Amino acid sequence: MIWEVFRQEKTGEYHTHCGNVHAPDREMAKMFAQIQHGRRKPTNSLWVVPQEEVGEVDTEEARFGGTTDKSYRWAMTYQGVDADFAEEVAESQQEQEAAERQRGDD
Amino acid sequence: MTALDPDDLSGDERTAVEHLLYRLADDELVLAERYTEWQVTAPTLESDLALANIAQDELGHARLWYDLLQDLGYSESELIYERDPGEFRHATLAEVPFEEGDWADAVVRGYLYDVAENCRLEALENSAHPRIANRVSKVRGEEEYHREHARNWLERLAGDEDGRRRLQTALDRLFPHALTLFEPTDETVEDDIVGMGIRRRGLDDLREEWLATVEPFLESVGLRLPMDPDDPADRLPDAVGRDRSHTDDWFDLHDEMTHTYRELGRTETTRIMDKPTDE
Repeated sequence: MIWEVFRQEKTGEYHTHCGNVHAPDREMAKMFAQIQHGRRKPTNSLWVVPQEEVGEVDTEEARFGGTTDKSYRWAMTYQGVDADFAEEVAESQQEQEAAERQRGDD
Repeated sequence: MTALDPDDLSGDERTAVEHLLYRLADDELVLAERYTEWQVTAPTLESDLALANIAQDELGHARLWYDLLQDLGYSESELIYERDPGEFRHATLAEVPFEEGDWADAVVRGYLYDVAENCRLEALENSAHPRIANRVSKVRGEEEYHREHARNWLERLAGDEDGRRRLQTALDRLFPHALTLFEPTDETVEDDIVGMGIRRRGLDDLREEWLATVEPFLESVGLRLPMDPDDPADRLPDAVGRDRSHTDDWFDLHDEMTHTYRELGRTETTRIMDKPTDE
């Protein structure tokens, strides 16, 4: 019997699926899951769930939303900006300001 | 009882501490070495990983105890790789080979050993030797899983007649070797170990406590201890390990365990982790 295993790192966080174990019953599944999924990463709690008890609906049966590209909503563009890039942005801004002054747009 | 000063032991104190540490360390090392034979051959991948993990725990515990022997001036090579196999003091339960492919053997052996280990660790919690006492809780924290693992398997294997029969066969074979866990290394030194408070309880006490746990549990799953109730020690095997008498299988195992060290012509061991501190 296959048991799906969900691991929670810290109190209050979600349990996230991390793999499965073969075990004849719940007690043994909990025991095996500790070794296989709870010992090498920080773990606060594990769930074991009989695989057959998991309900699934997939793209064969349903049209899910979320197909439009809405990545512009994510404020991720400036992640990982380093000092060099910040300087580049500052220089570019100064260039534009200088160009505007030359044009006398003010 | 006064605490011992680990850095200033009298001759008798040092002997008693050494004997106790060899009992603990050698048991853990040799049993772990046996357990690893199950790697990739246990009944399922999960049970394979669980037993490998238990073996790894036991090796870690062996290191904790060997470290304290190193405090007394021995090197790791002297303690393990270059030590005469006839000087080891583990119980024969740790050294006898598994019946080929018999998972019931691994389960019964783990159970008998882990319950005994729990009894002796309890008796070391208030050891007069502060560094021994300090290390007990680290070891006990991992031992709970070992006992749960063994009990879970016993309950399930005993669930049908074939499984129960195999467990009983393993129990009949291993029980005499398990009794050697409670044998003295030397009567006088054993009296000192208890008298000096290095271990707070005597071996007969520990054996009784062990029997009071294993007997009812094994009975509850339909197994019977092959024992004379009036004389629990009457089934001792010829070699008891503690006094450095061993079965031939131990010499083969030691040869295998030290093979690579010798083949590579090593004279010292590699240390990849710092020694644990006692503070």
